[in-house]
Amino acid sequence: MDGESNRWAVAGRKAAAVGRIAFRHQLAYKTDFAMRGFFLLFILFVFIQLWSAAYEGDFSKSISGFTLKQIVWYLVFTEALTLAAPPLCSRIEEEVKNGDVAIRLIRPQSYAGYHFSVFASEALTRFIVHLAIGSAIAWPFVGPPAFGYGWLGLLALSAGALTVTFLLLMLVGLCAFWVEETSGLYFVLQKLQFTIGGMLLPIDLMPEWLQRVCAWLPFQAALYFPARMGVHFDAALLAKQLAIQIGWIVLLALAVSRMYRRGVSKLHVNGG
Amino acid sequence: MSTADKLMANARYVWTCWKVNLAAMEYRLSFLLLAGMMFVNNAIWLFFWSLFFGRFPVVQGWELHDVMLLWAVSTGGFGWAAMLFGNFPRIAGIVATGHLDVYLSQPRPVLLSVLVSRCSVTAAGDFLFGIAVYLMVGDTSPRGMLLFALGLLISGMLFIAVMVVAGCSAFWIGNAEGMTQQLFNSFIALTTYPSDIFRGFVKLALFSLVPAGFISYLPIGLLRDFDPLFAAGAVTAACGLTLAGALLFRRGLRRYASGNTIAMRS
Repeated sequence: MDGESNRWAVAGRKAAAVGRIAFRHQLAYKTDFAMRGFFLLFILFVFIQLWSAAYEGDFSKSISGFTLKQIVWYLVFTEALTLAAPPLCSRIEEEVKNGDVAIRLIRPQSYAGYHFSVFASEALTRFIVHLAIGSAIAWPFVGPPAFGYGWLGLLALSAGALTVTFLLLMLVGLCAFWVEETSGLYFVLQKLQFTIGGMLLPIDLMPEWLQRVCAWLPFQAALYFPARMGVHFDAALLAKQLAIQIGWIVLLALAVSRMYRRGVSKLHVNGG
Repeated sequence: MSTADKLMANARYVWTCWKVNLAAMEYRLSFLLLAGMMFVNNAIWLFFWSLFFGRFPVVQGWELHDVMLLWAVSTGGFGWAAMLFGNFPRIAGIVATGHLDVYLSQPRPVLLSVLVSRCSVTAAGDFLFGIAVYLMVGDTSPRGMLLFALGLLISGMLFIAVMVVAGCSAFWIGNAEGMTQQLFNSFIALTTYPSDIFRGFVKLALFSLVPAGFISYLPIGLLRDFDPLFAAGAVTAACGLTLAGALLFRRGLRRYASGNTIAMRS
């Protein structure tokens, strides 16, 4: 029993160390941060104009439970989460193509665990920075994000949302063990998140039939859940959405584990 | 060599470059995957717009039909421009990294040589998407088709000209790749949203500083309710910016200092 808990403690320390290095690594690329920040500001400005035109500038109008203010903040949250995810698929693809995967595999840390440590560190930093940048533009246009316990709901669901995103990206990235080129698959995943994941439009505003389809897919757990909870706090729903997120995390983690075991057994690396 | 001979020689050179570039389509599966990917990408965006207009049928006078035409003009124009003059978004990088040397050594106009030396395979998907959407929802009478062709020409010329002007900044400020990439992404984004959602200074900027408005208003000002004043303005903007880009590039070349990079034309 002691040996087992010791093993987990060591794994945790390794993951934390990798996370710390990834965090410092990010601070070295300030231009990259600035560029993403600019794009976030720009795209949110365009969205604010679009939705203001759709609501005819009426702040009191509510459509499917969303006022203009709630829609704008919802988009800030979904954009902050979307842009928080580092390019995991292209990293794995590059590792397989140039042989670096050989070095990763002989390290005394699980391959998926290593990538999760890096992903979590980078995604959390980016998410916080993007929330600050998004707030800087949304606040002057539609007012402060005063949504009661909304921030609590957003933060509670964001960790699970980023984990679901990581697992989805890992599933696509691991395809590189078979096909090398994963950009096409990543591209499809990204577009699914944009639309049926609720990034551009809250799922509540979609037609009934599409809402029913979305309910059976993992994409809503990655963006829609935290963003909607951020602007519409509901304690009972929070518990349900947390449970759904955990369900998807378990299911996707099993799929990643199975896929990794199958992929690594047939991987041939030249160089590295 | 007379001017007519020079023009003919340049035309033959451009034609040969296009033929060689389009040979990339020889890898059929790869071509179909890449072009198909862009087609699907654009289709998903239109799916989003169909959901949006399902909730808000008319936004500032724009309907789903108008946004579909906007995507037809924008993707179609970008498609032909990137297929035939595929290096237009990369000029800043080519200048900053000293890769212009390889084009300077050739007996052809440098800007033309840079532009035609690359073909974006994915852009074929954009072009086909633009045509397919127009055939689906556009006016297919001879007049309608002619106006659409003019719209594609204006849109493609503006994409090239704006990026040539922006790319020339590398002659003066050095590494402008990141900045021009952001401008490129933002310009593309602006050309795919109805121009009438913007107001005041931003709308003014769309028809002057960042002339994306001349593309995003085409479905209304050219295709739906033909406005001769807007059409003349759009043609003038496209031709004027193209000329400005060529002149700016020529001026910039005088400041260009080779980095002694050993490179080959790819």
